[in-house]
This record gives sequence, C-alpha cells and structure tokens, in this order.
Amino acid sequence: MLKSASGTLVNVLKRSLLPTTRVSAVIPARLSHGGPVESDEEFDSRYEAFFNRKDIDGWEIRKGMNDLCGMDLVPDPRIIKAALHACRRVNDYALAIRFIEACKDKCGNKVNEIYPYIIQEIKPTLTELGIETPEELGYDKPELALQNVYEI
Amino acid sequence: MANYLMRRALLEAVRVPAGARSVSELAKVGNREWVGYGYNGQPNYADRPDFPLPAVRFRPDTPDIKILREKEKGDWRKLTLEEKKALYRASFCQTFAEFQAPTGEWKAVVGWGLAIASISVWIYMGMKLFVYSPIPETFSEERQKAQLRRMLDLKVNPVDGLASKWDYENNRWK
Repeated sequence: MLKSASGTLVNVLKRSLLPTTRVSAVIPARLSHGGPVESDEEFDSRYEAFFNRKDIDGWEIRKGMNDLCGMDLVPDPRIIKAALHACRRVNDYALAIRFIEACKDKCGNKVNEIYPYIIQEIKPTLTELGIETPEELGYDKPELALQNVYEI
Repeated sequence: MANYLMRRALLEAVRVPAGARSVSELAKVGNREWVGYGYNGQPNYADRPDFPLPAVRFRPDTPDIKILREKEKGDWRKLTLEEKKALYRASFCQTFAEFQAPTGEWKAVVGWGLAIASISVWIYMGMKLFVYSPIPETFSEERQKAQLRRMLDLKVNPVDGLASKWDYENNRWK
C-alpha cells in the first residue's frame, strides 16, 4: 500500500517538475506586466493568419472582428484584406460591408486621413471580390429611418 | 376582484411557453439565423459601434432572402446593388451612419429644462405676491444705518473688526 502510494507520489512530483513540452507549446505569449510585448508587426501577422485560415467559419470571423473593434487601434489594411477574403469564403457579403464600416468608425476623428489610405490599400481586394465600399452603397449617410415602435 | 383580474391579465401577457422560460432570448429569436457569439453568449441583436457584429441576423430567413443567399454563394460582382443592399439589411438593422446619426433629442431636453425652470420662477413670484408676508421693517435703509451706528457706539470688535475701522475723533471711516 505504502509502496504503491509513494510510487504514485513520485510520478506526480516528476510530472510537476519536468517541463512538458506539449503544454508549453500551446500557451500563448503572455501579455501581462513584465512579459514579452507583442510588436505591431506580430499583431498584424497574427490576425492576418487568423483570418487566412482555410476552415474559418462565421462565428470565428465575427469573434475576430468584434475583438478588433474593441481594441484601441485601427486594423491594418493587411488584416482587413484577409478578413474580406474570409467573408468571401463563408459567403457573407453583409459581413464584409459591416467590417469596412466598423473600420471607418475606428478611425475616429482622423477619419479623413486614415480612411482614404485604407480604401486605397484594399481597393484591389474590393474589385477582385466585387465588394462595394459603404460610400458606393450610399451607407456613408443615413439611408432609412427606423419606424417608431409606438406606431407599428 | 378587479385586482385579481388585473393580475391574471398581466400574468397572461408576460407568459413564455414552458421550456423556453430559462432561454427566453432563444424564444424571441424565431427563425432568425444565429451566426455568432452575442452579449452574455445569448442570441441577441443590437447595433453598437464597439460590438458591430451582433449574434443573430436582423431579419428571419424568408424565401426571398434564401434565394439571395444562394446567389451570394456565386460571384459577388454579378450581384446588383439592390441585392447587395437587401443582403445587408437582412443581416443588420441600421448602418453605422444611421445609428450614429444625431437624434435631435437634446432640443427637447433643453426645451423642457428651460420650461420647468421658468415655471419655478413663476411659482416664486406667485409666492412672493400672495403667500409671504412683507419683509420686516428692520430691513429698511434708515433702520440698518441706525443699527450700524449703535454697533459703532458699543465699540463692537475694536481690535481688528468693525470699531477698529472707525475713526472716533473725526467721526468717519479710517
């Protein structure tokens, strides 16, 4: 009894002391204080790779886009291009338009400087996939008014 | 009796079918497509700039929309502008420009605020005219002058106060 118990204990100790490569391989680079800091280039590449995944589905695309919109940044045109291609793969046109609109919104008060640059960079992708800019759809100005719920 | 009937009617109005009570968000979705992760993981819809892609499509899958979705699987360059707009409106309620457009609500807020403030002034004036008695006669100017004279005669606070500022020899302020 004691022998078997001590044998198990040694196993547990050994497992806790020896680094298991399998586990450490999936732990992402930590972003906490004092840890390695992800550069802008790495960040862009990470999200580009995320959207470039061949088996990505609509849930993951929305998750990635919503995350990007929650951050204090304007997504790089590289990321936007990859995201538009991802929208094409899941056949969701509205998603592509909505994301361009969201990116325009992220430009904040610098919209006149950043947004033309983004459009200029992603223009080849837009023409290749047949996506209109929100301006071409007339979505830069309010189009429809909401019906008052008290009058329905 | 009326109270009882009222309560019955209220309960009837808010009743959710059994089985859907704990997942009432789900009960409200109908046959709208659940396409992503929403607030609290629920299938809900809201137009927000910080969370631009809500969890469900805004409109249910009608036959027209289903035909459009089949067409969407092909080349997007062959879709007309109207079809693209219809696809957008099937997924989302309002565009960014629409839900960020000014509502003009501030005008009503400022207007009502000023109206209520002016009513309070009218109430004050009414009180002044019809409710309050006139202020005491000691508030008249000669009475107040007499009070000051008496305070000087009593040499109130002679070190660094009122009387210290009065020149008693020449009968004037220092």
